[in-house]
Amino acid sequence: MPHPVRLSHRSTGLVQAALVLLFSLTCSWSIAQPADQAQYDQGEKLFKQNCASCHKPDKRMTGPALKGAKERWDGKGDIHAWVHNSQEYLKSGNEYANALYAEYNKTLMTPQAISDAEIDAVLYYADNYAPPAPPPGEAPVPTGAPEETPAWPWFLVLGLLFVVVWMSLNGVRKGLTNAVREQQGLEPAPDMTMWQGFKAWAWNNKVFASVLGLLITTVLLVTLWNWAFDIGVYGGDGVAHYRPEQPIAFNHTLHAGKASDKNLQINCQYCHSGAEKSKHAGIPSPNVCMNCHRAVAEGRTPDGTQEIAKIYAAVGWDPAANNGGGAYTGEEHPIHWVKVHNLPDHVFFSHAQHVAVGKLECQECHGPIDTEMTVAEQWAPLTMGWCIQCHNEKEAKMAGNGYYDEIMARLKASDDLGHRELKQFLEDEKITVRELGGWECAKCHY
Amino acid sequence: MTKQHKGIIAAALSLTAVLSSCGGDPNSPGMEYMPDMYRSPALEAYVDYGQDPYMFDDSLVLAQRERQEARKPVDGTIPFSMDASKEEFHFPYPYANTPEGYEQAGLGLHSPIPMTEANVEKGKVIYGKFCIHCHGVKGQGDGTVVQNGGYPPPPSYTAPGPSGLRDLPEGKIFHSLTYGKNVAMGSHASQLNKEERWLVVQYVKYLQNGGKMPGAASEGTTPAVANAN
Repeated sequence: MPHPVRLSHRSTGLVQAALVLLFSLTCSWSIAQPADQAQYDQGEKLFKQNCASCHKPDKRMTGPALKGAKERWDGKGDIHAWVHNSQEYLKSGNEYANALYAEYNKTLMTPQAISDAEIDAVLYYADNYAPPAPPPGEAPVPTGAPEETPAWPWFLVLGLLFVVVWMSLNGVRKGLTNAVREQQGLEPAPDMTMWQGFKAWAWNNKVFASVLGLLITTVLLVTLWNWAFDIGVYGGDGVAHYRPEQPIAFNHTLHAGKASDKNLQINCQYCHSGAEKSKHAGIPSPNVCMNCHRAVAEGRTPDGTQEIAKIYAAVGWDPAANNGGGAYTGEEHPIHWVKVHNLPDHVFFSHAQHVAVGKLECQECHGPIDTEMTVAEQWAPLTMGWCIQCHNEKEAKMAGNGYYDEIMARLKASDDLGHRELKQFLEDEKITVRELGGWECAKCHY
Repeated sequence: MTKQHKGIIAAALSLTAVLSSCGGDPNSPGMEYMPDMYRSPALEAYVDYGQDPYMFDDSLVLAQRERQEARKPVDGTIPFSMDASKEEFHFPYPYANTPEGYEQAGLGLHSPIPMTEANVEKGKVIYGKFCIHCHGVKGQGDGTVVQNGGYPPPPSYTAPGPSGLRDLPEGKIFHSLTYGKNVAMGSHASQLNKEERWLVVQYVKYLQNGGKMPGAASEGTTPAVANAN
């Protein structure tokens, strides 16, 4: 059949041509190649070396956006002289330069020791700059573990099904029994309620019923006992972790996670700076967020951008004000953060003791909060058993600690000034927190 | 449908209701044995007294909820301390947050703490928590936030000239830490007290000097911090 074959040949050729055309078109649209790639590359390199601390190509930062700067200066002044030495150029009395200086809060531009051609390259780069598109197929923000659906509804459905089947079978059996009895000329069996029927059955099988009853009672009691242990426990193994939704969906992994996973790896204490000074590690006041987010208004995802906008709303920052430079409006709103780790009032806990003296890592109690938790949750059970288990095993970091110098000095002293007990503890060549009094009731309960 | 059936269905429904109410809702702070021993009657930081078991009157709860709690100290307040050796850190900062103030600080402000190896070590610890993610391990402006976050890179501590920070005087470093610099660097005065800021300045001076103690020409006097990098 030559006809359809020939047609398909022609059509594939057409499709191919169309595809090639489309491909080349989309290529030229999506990657708008600057006419002079060499100058663009040179400009990019120079920009990153000399300008990026204060300028962005397309946005106002400390200084104006460089895109269109050449055009803005055209006919009003000498942009080259300005870049070389802005202070000198201001003295020349140029109107546009002085207006710029006033607009940017009298911040002087650092004099740049680059040639006119290099300045042109930077401006060429800025004019042709296109923001990089996020790489497709890559999810930069890791998501939390998928929600597990509980199994108990299925057991309930199965149980109900079983009850229905059992009851209908019971009805059928009763009907059959009565039919047999009627045939034998007997009266129909007395109509017993379920409870009466159960009692009759238990009376006839005393041993089995009592053993079964004992077993069921024991299982129920043990379950109740174990369940009671989990009241007020919202972390640890086998317990649903307390993970409240926060007013701003701050992503711990993105901010504190490992740099090798393309995260920012900011030290925990940058934000929780109370951890080694205070009882509380502290929720950072929003001015700490603004230390970076004055310059970062866009998240890695649209959701992230939305969350950053919530910080702006809380601190009263209008990023569009001041010609896109942003300004505080003075209208502030408190952020209602939800406390995750609730320790009862009858126990004392201080972050400072554990971080500054105990030299614990945050993750020892808070779990992999920097690598696995996008939403902060209570990782440790925070029960007394959990506390004293660690106090029992943990070796005090005495060497070069400062806090323990006096104890160490006394331990090493030759006389026996009543420190035999402590010296006894030294026998296994390590001093646990418990041996320093970490199991005394009044250490935590007072 | 008999009475029995109704009873069974009612029991099953109530069982479902009870079980589902116990399901692990991550938003629920859960059950407490004795709330009156869990919640402090004295105000505790970060506790929402909207959940208060003592039932303070509503106006107090609402006022507490709608009040901005994290605030900067009132202008001109100074920290209180009985430690006379720290009094130099407690005077108000005399330079204004203006370009003129910055220049004046560069000329007139000098570190009250000596440049010693011990202070550089302390400064290194603080630098590792508060500066390293932007300024980088050696102050080259190549920290993780710059590399992975596309943050505007700070100038290098070792680069000379107007666009480098090698010759930045300590007064200007302290001024920038206190008020912030440009848009990219915010004020760190709320996170670091004056003594800590001066310790950081010591370590920055150490980095400006290429990771050597200033005044030390030979390798032999390099403190341990250089090796720790």
